[in-house]
Amino acid sequence: MFDFDATLPLMAVQFLLLVVVLNAVFYKPLTKAIEDRNDYIRRNQVEAQERLSKAENLAKQYEDELADTRRQSQALIAAAQADAQKVVATKIAEAQEQARLQREQAQRELDQQKQEAMSALEREVDSLSHQILGKLLGSQV
Amino acid sequence: MLSFPATPILPLASLEVGHHFYWQIGNLKVHGQVFLVSWFVIALLVLASVLATRNIQRIPSGIQNLMEYALDFVRELAKNQLGEKEFRPWVPFIGTLFLFIFVSNWSGALIPWKLIKLPEGELAAPTNDINTTVALALLVSLAYFYAGFRKKGLGYFAKYVQPTPVLLPIAILEDFTKPLSLSFRLFGNILADELVVAVLVLLVPLFVPLPVMLLGLFTSAIQALVFATLAGAYIHEALEGHGEEEHH
Repeated sequence: MFDFDATLPLMAVQFLLLVVVLNAVFYKPLTKAIEDRNDYIRRNQVEAQERLSKAENLAKQYEDELADTRRQSQALIAAAQADAQKVVATKIAEAQEQARLQREQAQRELDQQKQEAMSALEREVDSLSHQILGKLLGSQV
Repeated sequence: MLSFPATPILPLASLEVGHHFYWQIGNLKVHGQVFLVSWFVIALLVLASVLATRNIQRIPSGIQNLMEYALDFVRELAKNQLGEKEFRPWVPFIGTLFLFIFVSNWSGALIPWKLIKLPEGELAAPTNDINTTVALALLVSLAYFYAGFRKKGLGYFAKYVQPTPVLLPIAILEDFTKPLSLSFRLFGNILADELVVAVLVLLVPLFVPLPVMLLGLFTSAIQALVFATLAGAYIHEALEGHGEEEHH
C-alpha cells in the first residue's frame, strides 16, 4: 500500500504540466472573459446612469421652463385683462360723457325752443289781447 | 501488503489493495493504473477547458457556463484563503489542485473502471494511490516555501522563531506534518471510501451500497475542497508571517 516509486515525481511533474496547460487554456482566457464582461457591465451601467441623470435634468429643466411659461402666460393674461378693463372703463366714461353732452345739448335746444315758443305765444297773446281789447273797447283806443 | 483476493464464489466484486500494474521505465517502476486514470482525468479537464474557451461569448452558455462556474468557485476559494490582494497568481495552482483531485475522486467513484481488465491491479481514482497524494502534498509544501521566500527572501525564516524561539522545533515539525497530514487525509479518505464500497458490494451486491456510494461522492468532493483550502491556507500563512506584519 505504501510503496513509493517513480510514480511520485512523475505525478508531480505531470501535475505541474497540468497547471501550466490549464493556466493557458482555462484560467487566463476565462478570467479575461469574466473581467471583460464585468468591465462591460460596469461601463454600461455607468453610461446608463449618466443618461438617466441627464434625462432627469432635462425633464427638470423642461418642467422649470413649463412653469416659467405658465407664469408668464398668466401674467400676460392678467395684463391683457387689466388693459381691457381700462379700455372698457375709458370707453364707458367717454360714452357717458358724450351722452351727457348730447343730453345737455338736447336740453338746451329744448329750452330754447320752449322759450321761442313761449315768446311767440306771448306775442300772439299780446296781439290777441290787443285785438280783444280793440274789439271790446272799440274806437276808444 | 494488504490484499483480499476475490473468492471464486463471488466473482462480482473483489478487493485489491497493494496490487499494482507496474510499468518499467528504464530501471524505474511506476504504477501504470494510476497514470492511466490520471491521464484520463487530465484529458477530461483539458478537453472541457478547450471546449469552454474555444469560442468565448459575452453571454456564456453550455460548457463555457459550467467552466466559468468552476473558475468562479476556485477563485472564491483562493480569495477566501489568500485575501483580495494576493490570490490572483495562486488561482491556477489552487484551482488545479481542486479540479484535479475532485475529478479524480469522482471518476474513481462514478466510472465503472472494473469493466476494463488490467493484467494486474485495477483502475481506480489516482488519489487512492499514496504516490499521487504525496506528490500533490509536496507540491503544496514547495509552493508555500516558494511563496514565503519570494515575498520575504531569507526573512521567511524569521517566522520559525517569531513568537518565541522555544517553539522552533514545533515550527520545523509543522513543515513535515503539513504535507504528511494533507497526503494521508486525502489518500485515507479516498481509499477507505473505495474499500467500504467494495466490502459492501462484496456482501450485498445490489442497492445496499448505493447510500454509501452517495456518501462517498460527498466525501470525495469535501476532500478535494479540504485539500485545496488547506493549500491556500498554508500559502497564506507563508505570505503573512506570524507577528511582524500588520494584522487587519
